[in-house]
Amino acid sequence: MRILLAFILGICTMQSSVGQGRLTDDMRETQEQLNASTKQINQFFRRFNGEEDKNGKRYYETDKQYHSTNLRNQYMPVLFDTQTGQIDRKLAEKFISTITDKKSPVFLDFHQDDWLAEVNTTFTYKGKKVPGTLYMRLQQQGQGYEWIIDNVSFDVFSSKFDKDTTESKKFLHPMSHELEFMTLRKAFADNQHNEQFTGKDFETDYLSIFLYEMNMGNLKFVTVKNVSFHFFSVEGYYFSLANFNRSGYNSGWLISSLVALANEDEKQQMKNYLYGKN
Amino acid sequence: MQIIKYTALSLLLALTTSAFAQTNINPSRKQAIDSLALEKVKDLSKYISIIGSKDTQFSEAKRVMDRAEELFAEDSEMGVSSLESEEISYFKVRDYFERLMALNYDKVKIQWYDIHYVSDLEQQPDGTYVGVITIYQRFEGTSKDGSLSYKDTTKKDITIYVKKKETQIAGRIIEFWDVLLGDIKVTETTA
Repeated sequence: MRILLAFILGICTMQSSVGQGRLTDDMRETQEQLNASTKQINQFFRRFNGEEDKNGKRYYETDKQYHSTNLRNQYMPVLFDTQTGQIDRKLAEKFISTITDKKSPVFLDFHQDDWLAEVNTTFTYKGKKVPGTLYMRLQQQGQGYEWIIDNVSFDVFSSKFDKDTTESKKFLHPMSHELEFMTLRKAFADNQHNEQFTGKDFETDYLSIFLYEMNMGNLKFVTVKNVSFHFFSVEGYYFSLANFNRSGYNSGWLISSLVALANEDEKQQMKNYLYGKN
Repeated sequence: MQIIKYTALSLLLALTTSAFAQTNINPSRKQAIDSLALEKVKDLSKYISIIGSKDTQFSEAKRVMDRAEELFAEDSEMGVSSLESEEISYFKVRDYFERLMALNYDKVKIQWYDIHYVSDLEQQPDGTYVGVITIYQRFEGTSKDGSLSYKDTTKKDITIYVKKKETQIAGRIIEFWDVLLGDIKVTETTA
């Protein structure tokens, strides 16, 4: 048994990284940049939380440096996009000091946090290419988790809904019931906006329309164009992540925008804006 | 040799863990699973280099493609994006290898950066664990007369599936963790 174990361990130690050595000088420079790049969302979480060292070595709960404030203070500034000038430096400093507060630090939690993915896609609708956005969230399911479609935004659908709420809008007069609603015939004739006949609290359910058109075969997936992520995990703030595919040491998944939220109303307004409900 | 290596690594995963079924993957087991997954990724990178090389005989390339396919779960796909286009092209793994083999260069050089990033393992609804390993590849293709010259660096995000399996050795049921590769997203970088 000991010999078998030694043999297996020997094979394990033979394995090293994927690279085969003998890199050219320009590749060595690129390699350093790629090491600095935040390569996965998973790595963003680890760097944000202080769960890996500068060389990418994973820290576990038993490691002294795990969630270290010093480590996080070093990492956080490089987790922002520093090249496009979209981030207010003072707000970023305040944000960092909030999440690294010694008494009540804030960490990201993959499963529990209020965050979502915005997936910009191309579909074909009745044979024509159309853009559309899927809003995805994580959901506990069975023994683990799954990403689910929380909502969608398609111009090809929303352009069909433009409810007129003025006094001059079309309506079904209040005595229509006495005519057994024969007024419907004229109301629906050549009408592109039948939402005029719905209640004040009517809201278009684009997700159901999306699923109906998919299931009917009218809407077909083509490809994903790009993905970004939106976080409401840190109280008083909203931030988004985007993938910066560029050379240099500030690349990969980085914070692309940061907004201070004064209260729950502002948080809801931001969510509505993201979901295209404004 | 590959089968012996993977079996040995899988058995190590069984030997270093409890004989009883456990759902959670603790850090030491995670590291052992990472090693097995990285071994498979390393083999895949080696196979890609062989398939892409113009020095490889057609029959040998076909044989290596078969071996490479064995690393993958059924129906795995490659999604390839370039800097020129927003859209992703999707290929079956075998088709991707065949396209790589058929590239119209006289000389192809494929190198791998000494970088790998291994994500956490997350459990999906059916109980299988899933993770992603990121590696980077440098490609250089040239024609004899120099009329065709191309190089790029691509990021490869490789899905890994980790499943608990059982085998019988000398009448005893041994549980072990098996790793298969899944879909791969290939992204051209500006590097």
